[in-house]
Amino acid sequence: MYNVLKFFHFRRFGVTSLTVFCTFLLFVSTVAAQDFSKYHTYDELTRVLRLIVNDHKNIAKLESIGKTLEGRDIWLVEIANPKDVPVEQRPALFIGANFEGDHLIGSEIALYIVDYLLKNYNSSSEVKEKIDNHVFYIVPRVNPDAAEMFFANVKIGRKTNTRPYDGDNDGRMDEDGPEDLNKDGCVTVMRARDTEGEYMINPGEPRLMKKADPKKGETGIYKLYREGIDNDKDGFINEDPPGGIDINRNFQHEYPYYNPDAGWHMISELESRAIIGWIIAHRNVAIILTFGESDNLITAPNSRGQLGPAKEIDLFKFADASNDGASEVGIFPTGRRVSGFRGPRSQPTQQQQPPSRGRPSRGPATTVDTTDIEYFSTISKKYVELTGIKNQPVVRKPQGAFFQYGYYQFGVPSFSTPGWGIPSLASDSLQGRQSQRGAGSLRPSGRGQTADIDSLLLKWMDSEGVDGFANWTKYNHPELGEVEIGGFKPYAVTNPPAEKIASLGASHAGFAVYLSTLFPQVKIAKTEVTNHSGGIFRIKAEVENTGFLPTALAHGVHSRSVKPTMVQLGIEPEAVISGNNKTSFFQALAGSGKRQKYEWLIKGKRGARIELKVVSQKGGSDKTTITLK
Amino acid sequence: MKVLYKVFASLVIIMFVFALTPTIMVGQSASDPQIKVKIDFNRWHDVPELYADMKRLQQAWPRFLKLESIGKSHNGLDIMVMTINNPDTGPEMSKAGMYVEANIHGNEIQGGEICLYTIWYLMENYGRIDNITRLVDERVFYIVPTVNPDGRQYFMEGAGGGARSGHVPVDSDNDGLYDEDGPNDLNGNGVIEQIRKYVPGKGTHRISHIDKRIMEPVPFGETGDYIILGSEGIDDDGDGRVNEDGPGGYDPNRNWGTDWQPNYVQGGSMDYPFQLPEARAVNDFLMSHPNIAGAQSYHNSGGMILRGPGAEWQGAYPREDIQVYDELGKNGERILPFYRYIVIWSGLYTVHGGSIDWTDDGLGIITFSNELWSGGQYFTSPELKEQQKDPESPISSRVSSYFFDDYLEFGDKFMEWKEFDHPQYGKVEIGGSWRKTRGRVPPRFMNEELCHRNMAFTLYQADEMPMIKMGETEVEKVDGNVYKVLVDITNPKVAPTITVRAARNKVVKPDLLMLEGKNVEVISASWIDNKEVYKYRPSVTNLIDQQDLKRIIVRSGHYGKTTKTIQYLVKGSGEINITYDSVKGGKATTKVNLR
Repeated sequence: MYNVLKFFHFRRFGVTSLTVFCTFLLFVSTVAAQDFSKYHTYDELTRVLRLIVNDHKNIAKLESIGKTLEGRDIWLVEIANPKDVPVEQRPALFIGANFEGDHLIGSEIALYIVDYLLKNYNSSSEVKEKIDNHVFYIVPRVNPDAAEMFFANVKIGRKTNTRPYDGDNDGRMDEDGPEDLNKDGCVTVMRARDTEGEYMINPGEPRLMKKADPKKGETGIYKLYREGIDNDKDGFINEDPPGGIDINRNFQHEYPYYNPDAGWHMISELESRAIIGWIIAHRNVAIILTFGESDNLITAPNSRGQLGPAKEIDLFKFADASNDGASEVGIFPTGRRVSGFRGPRSQPTQQQQPPSRGRPSRGPATTVDTTDIEYFSTISKKYVELTGIKNQPVVRKPQGAFFQYGYYQFGVPSFSTPGWGIPSLASDSLQGRQSQRGAGSLRPSGRGQTADIDSLLLKWMDSEGVDGFANWTKYNHPELGEVEIGGFKPYAVTNPPAEKIASLGASHAGFAVYLSTLFPQVKIAKTEVTNHSGGIFRIKAEVENTGFLPTALAHGVHSRSVKPTMVQLGIEPEAVISGNNKTSFFQALAGSGKRQKYEWLIKGKRGARIELKVVSQKGGSDKTTITLK
Repeated sequence: MKVLYKVFASLVIIMFVFALTPTIMVGQSASDPQIKVKIDFNRWHDVPELYADMKRLQQAWPRFLKLESIGKSHNGLDIMVMTINNPDTGPEMSKAGMYVEANIHGNEIQGGEICLYTIWYLMENYGRIDNITRLVDERVFYIVPTVNPDGRQYFMEGAGGGARSGHVPVDSDNDGLYDEDGPNDLNGNGVIEQIRKYVPGKGTHRISHIDKRIMEPVPFGETGDYIILGSEGIDDDGDGRVNEDGPGGYDPNRNWGTDWQPNYVQGGSMDYPFQLPEARAVNDFLMSHPNIAGAQSYHNSGGMILRGPGAEWQGAYPREDIQVYDELGKNGERILPFYRYIVIWSGLYTVHGGSIDWTDDGLGIITFSNELWSGGQYFTSPELKEQQKDPESPISSRVSSYFFDDYLEFGDKFMEWKEFDHPQYGKVEIGGSWRKTRGRVPPRFMNEELCHRNMAFTLYQADEMPMIKMGETEVEKVDGNVYKVLVDITNPKVAPTITVRAARNKVVKPDLLMLEGKNVEVISASWIDNKEVYKYRPSVTNLIDQQDLKRIIVRSGHYGKTTKTIQYLVKGSGEINITYDSVKGGKATTKVNLR
C-alpha cells in the first residue's frame, strides 16, 4: 500500500513541478525581482525577500533572527498558512544556506525554493497541502558579511565572517592578508621556483601542480603561495588574513578545538548563535536541509554510517602549506627540566594514579546509527533522482558543521549538499559498479574519483566554457623575485555559473517538497469505551504514525534530543485504577501506519466527556473527546 | 501621646549609642586591630545581603575597590564582580589577575562567604600586614561571590531542594510545560522533608532502636508501624506525578567551552556552551581580561583541591604544567587540613564542559576548584576518629551526626517528625530531615576558619602567579661598534607566563621580547638557559630563527622559578631598551648602554 502511495506522490510531483516551472518562466520576464540568472547581493536578496513575502502575507513571514558583526540581518522566511494548528506545533522543514561565505549557490537555491513554494500555493494542491499543514523555515544567507565579498572588485573567496582574529597568534591581528598583485580582480596562487620547493608541474595537465615524489625520482622545484606579499615581514605570506571564523566549523559536533578558523569556542559567533538560538526554540523542526561544502545527499553515508572522504583542491592545499609553522615560531624548547623545583620527579604525579572513582566516559556518536542509515540512503537516492546530480564537486570534511549538529545533537534527519555537481571522469563501467555498491558498501562510495579533484574541475570548466581558471602569468614579486600567478579563481570552485541557478533551483524545490512528504504524523486512530458498571470504565486507544519517518530516529532517542511522544488522558490522576498512567510516553513509533496501544481502567461518571491527546515533538499532535457511556 | 514620647526617647537612645560606638572601638584597638567594616562570617548571606556588604566594603575603600555587574542572571539579578586594584601601582591590565568565583551551583553557598571574607581581609589588613600590602600592590583580584544568584537566592529563600541548577526553565518531565511542578514546602518550615504515616502493625518501616531519628525498613518477615509516602510536595500540574519538574533542571557547571558534550554524554549540559546567561557573562568578563593568570572556583563539598582535566579523554597535562599544579596543590593540602589535592576525573568523577577546564584549556589560566568542607571536620582529632570506628560509640559513623547536632548545635539541624494534615494523604507526619544548611556547608561557627584557610590558599596561588623581572645586564664590546649584550630575564614565581597547554592551544598571546634603540641593528639573538653554566662551559647557542629580532615572539613563555638570559649581538651605539612583555606576567624593561 505504501509503495503505491509513494509512487503516486512522485508522479504527481513530477507533473506539478513541470507545469509550475513553465508558469515561472512566464513570470520571470515581467517581474525583475525574481531574476534567477544571477547571484544576489545582500541588498538585492533583502529586496527580493521583502517583495515576495509581502506578496504572500497570508502564508509567509520574514523575520531577522540576528545581526552580523557588520550589522546585516540574518533573514528567516516562515512559510505556513497559520490557520488551525499553531505553526510551532507542526512538523517543519528547516532549510539553511551559505554557512560557508564562499558558497553562494545554496543561497540562490534557497531563495528559489521560497519563491517556488509561495508562487505555487494557489496552483499546486500538493504545495498548498504542505503549507496548510506543515511549515517551512528558510534561511537563505547565514553568513551575509562574507557572502558580500563575492561581489567585491577583488575576489578573495573567503569562507569566514569578519571577526578580527589573530590567525597566527603572533600578537597582531589580521596583519597579513592577500593582495591582487597582478590586478586581474582575483586572488589566486603564486608559484615560485625554489630549490627547497616540493612541487612540480603536473605532467598530465601543465596548468596544475603536483607534489614531487622523490621515490619516483621526481624533483620539486616550485613553492606555492596564495597571491600576496609578506605584509608583516615575518617570513610568511598571507598567514593572517583579515577575519574570521568559519561558521560551518563553529557548531557543536566534532568541533575542531583550537583550530583558528573554528573560533574561540563552539557557537562563539553571532551567526552560529542566531541559528542555534532559533532552532532550539523550534523543536518542531523535523528535517534539516542545508546547502554547503559538505555532502551526505549526492553520496549517502555508507553502511557503517560514515560519510565519504573530502575532495579538496590540491593547488590550494599546496599554497596553504607554505604557512605551516607560522604559528609555531617562537616555541623554545629548553630541553631540560625547569629548575628550582623539588628536582626530578620523585613521586608519581596525580595523573598516573589509578582512577579511584573515575568512570570511563562513553563518547558522542560519530557515525549514523545503523537503524537510521536506511532513511538516509532512501532520501539520498531520491535526491539524485530528482536533481540528476551524481558526482560531488569540491567537498570538505564536516567538522563543526551545522548539518552534523542537526543529526547528532538535534536528533533529526539532517542533510547537506553543495547543491550542484560536476561530471565524473570515471568510465561508465566504474560508475555502474559504484552505484551498485551504493550505500551497501563498507567503503565510502565515490571513493574511486577522489584522486584528483583539480583535474576534474578543470576538465569541467574547459568543456562548459566556465571562466574559472586564471592561466599562469609572470609577475615580478617584491620578495620572491620572478613568480607566476594563476590557478583556480575564487568562487569558481564552490559555485556553478549563474545560468545554472534556475534549473538547480527548480530541482531542489522539488526535493524540498519531497522532504515535506516524509514527516511523521501522529493520529489517534481508534478509541473504544467499555462500561463495566459501578462507575468503572475501560478506555482503549490506538495511536498511529501515518507519516513516513518515525516520530524519532534511533539516534534522536539515543541522544535524548527528541522528546518522547506524550499520550495523556484528561482526568484526575486518582481516577485511573490500572493500566496506563494518566500521562504516558513512548520513545518512538515507526511510520507508515505503525500503531501503539493504550488501555486505562478508570473511575468515572456516565456521560462524562474525557479528552485524549497525543503530542509528538516532530510528528504534530492530535486529540479527541471520549464520552463515557 | 505617651507612646510617641517613648518612641522618640528610644530613638534618642539609639542615636546616642551609635554616636558612642566609634569611641568604644578605639578603646579596643589597643589590643587588636581596629575593624573598619564589620561583617558576620558566622551566618549565610542571601544575595541582597551579600551585595549590600560588598557595597559597604566598596564605599569604605573606594580607591581600591570597584564594584560592577558583569551581567544578569536568568531571573534578572546582577552578577557582581569586585575588582581589587591599587591604582598607584599601575593599571589593572599591567598586573597578573587572580579571578575568584563561587556558587556556580546555587546550593553551594559558603564559597560566596569566602569571597566576601577575602575582600574584607585584604582591605582591613592592607598597610598593616606587609605581605598583604605587597600582594594587593602587586596583583589585581577579580572576585565574583555568586555566579548563580538565582540558585543562591532560591536556596536561601526556599526549601533548598533543586537549588544546584540555575533558573533557565527546562522541561524536565517532557510534557511541554516548564518548571510547573516543583517541591512544595507544605508546612512552611523551610525544609523539604519526608512524609510518613502511622499504620500500626501494617507498615514497611520502623523507628530504629539505635536512635529514634532513624527510620529503617523492617527486616524480612516482620512488620513495622510506618509507611513512607515520599518527600514533601503535591502534584501541582495534575499529571499524576509529584515534584517532577522544578526550577531549572540542568548543571550550570557543564555549560563551558572545553570538552563540552551534548546532554546524552554529559547530563545537564544544555544545548551549547555558554548558553546560560550566567556562564556567558562570566566568560565575556574572562575573555576581556587576558591578564588573569590564576583562578579559583569554589564549590562544595568533600574537602578537595581539584584541578583538571575533567575527563580522561582530554589527555594528561604536559609534565611542566603538572609540576606547577603539584607545587601549588601540595602546599594547598598543608594550608587546608582535610582537603586532598586531586584531579577531577581520576579522583572525583568525570566532568565534561566544566568551568575550570575552560579556564585552563581555553584561556590558559592556572585554575583550582576547592570542594569546601569535609565531613572529616566534625570530629577532628585522631582519638575521636579512632572512636568513630567503634560501632558502639556515641559518635560511630551511623549516629555521629546526631551526636554533633545534640551537643554542638543543640538540635538546630534535625527536623523532628510533626503531625500534618495532607490534602491527599490525610493525617500524616512530616519531618525526619536535616536542614539544608547542614552537610554540604559547615556549622556556622566553623565557617570563619573555612573562609580564612581557603582564602589563604587562594592568596598563595595569587602570589605565585608569574611576574617578569629584568635582572643583570652585561655589555661586551666585540669589535668596532659590535656588542654582545646579555640580559637576565627572571620569573621568580611558580607559575609560567604561558602554560605548555595554552601554548599548544594557542590561546594566550605570546610573550614578546623587544629591543629598541636608535641606529641599532640586531645581528643575532639566542637564549642561554643558565648563564653560570654557560660561562664555564660555553656551548653553541641556537639562533632565534625569526625575521624581526627587535620583536622576538616567545610562544613558550617564561617558566616559573627560572632565569633565562637573552644574548644579543648588536651593531650600533647609544642607549637601548629591552622589554619583555607578557600578558599574564606583566611587563619589564631595562636599559643598556652600548659603549
